[in-house]
Amino acid sequence: MSERVRNLVTVTALVAMTTILATLVATSPSDVDRVSEIGERIKCPVCQGESIANSPSPMARDMMALVAERVANGQSDEVIVAELLAAYSGAVLLDPPASGATLILWLSPLAALGIGAVIIFWWRGHPARGVTGDPPEEAGPTTRRLVPLLILAAAFATIVVVAGLSLQDRSGRASGVAALGDQDLSDVSNDTMEAVIAANGDHPEVDGMRLALADRYFEEGDYRSAFPQYLAVADSANATDGQAVTALARLGWMAWDGNAEVETALNLFDQALAIDPSAMTAQYLKGQVLWCGAGDHEQAGAVFATVLSDPDLDAESRAAVQSDLDAVTAGEDCA
Amino acid sequence: MNGRGLRWAGYAIAMAAVAFAVVLASRFGADPGLVDSPLLGEPAPEFTLAPLEGGEAISLADLDGEIVVVNFFASWCLECRKEHEALTATADAFADRGVTFVHIGYQESPPASLDYLAVVGRSPAAVYLADPGSRTAIAYGVFGIPETFFIDEDGEVVGKIIGESDAMTLGATIDAIKRGEKPGQSVTGDTQQRPDA
Repeated sequence: MSERVRNLVTVTALVAMTTILATLVATSPSDVDRVSEIGERIKCPVCQGESIANSPSPMARDMMALVAERVANGQSDEVIVAELLAAYSGAVLLDPPASGATLILWLSPLAALGIGAVIIFWWRGHPARGVTGDPPEEAGPTTRRLVPLLILAAAFATIVVVAGLSLQDRSGRASGVAALGDQDLSDVSNDTMEAVIAANGDHPEVDGMRLALADRYFEEGDYRSAFPQYLAVADSANATDGQAVTALARLGWMAWDGNAEVETALNLFDQALAIDPSAMTAQYLKGQVLWCGAGDHEQAGAVFATVLSDPDLDAESRAAVQSDLDAVTAGEDCA
Repeated sequence: MNGRGLRWAGYAIAMAAVAFAVVLASRFGADPGLVDSPLLGEPAPEFTLAPLEGGEAISLADLDGEIVVVNFFASWCLECRKEHEALTATADAFADRGVTFVHIGYQESPPASLDYLAVVGRSPAAVYLADPGSRTAIAYGVFGIPETFFIDEDGEVVGKIIGESDAMTLGATIDAIKRGEKPGQSVTGDTQQRPDA
């Protein structure tokens, strides 16, 4: 190779390298371009099918500002998009990912192309069919029976798919306060019941929860917490007679047991019995207060006798009341 | 392929196309915000935000070891207004029980949020923060409000309520977290976008 040729090759190589470098520099996207390109890929979460680059919504502008800040900090496109994906999932991408359930969207054009190609090939292989107007091949009796069945099966499958998608949408819905009266309270904490009651003071179903919460406090001996709940049930226009009687009876017992207020207690028992004279729990508690608080053995004995007259009294309670009646009759003091 | 075979292939293709079109059509109008949050089961995104009134910023790390309920709200959001009493009552009920409610103003100025809170009331046990630039809302993948996230004592996002929440749902979710369960995501109602979105 002559020197002239070598020089020519060298110059050509240098020119080529310079051109390539210049092209690379010229086509390297600026930060502004990168922000815009990333913004075009991200769907505005508060818009209908718009990218954050094209949406004028304040949320889109905030997201574009975030992207611009990340680009200025030198983060790669992948890292920036991954950050948004970590918060919003693939739903934030305008182009669905070519994987998982959305892969079918990417493959469907190819499938349509393939099917079209098969049809064209077949058509080209049977050119006379379309030209001569040969009568179409008669469908056999089996085919005639099968085709409607097949269409029915397709319709059924379609309904199943649509119903499945619909159910999937609703599966996560919570019951809400509408089911207050039917709520199983076994797993519900006192704090939750307090919150529900505070937020739903006028709800017609809330008295059941008030009573359940008050009973929990009462059984724990926490009269201070039980008192306002029982009082609210006793004053509620929505409470059933049974709920009101229970609340009044428990209030009466707490007035005696907690504060030694005999008169108040007896008054509350009488209010309960005015609503339901057959409320044996109220009767028995009244008898206890008459005996232990007022020291009135005669009236206490009469009340215990009334309780024992209840044919529905269970054996264990009957034995306990009988024991109290015997003690009262014998003039013993309350234990 | 003979004529009969081709006819069957045609039927099959037609049915597949119909089924495909029906599935696609059934998704039109579906709310994209109802997707399961990818944050569930992940460490909660950290934030450091100033109260609406200004002052010392509060960060999620400050609440380490507590159950944190993060609620995004705005004065223009009707569903937020509906759920506010339940949120306040639940924050009060669980005060001093290792549960902190964090309310973050979404897409509005702090004065607008403060005016709203002056009307609907606050829980003394909750904190109310501003989110300039929506950075925290973006980090939590908020599509619309109200959205409420539940973060357990270990800092993991274990629950999310989309839409108006009620005291029973809020309390039951906290009860479940206290039992060591991960309640996941539930949809209780609609969400809203800012009117000019």
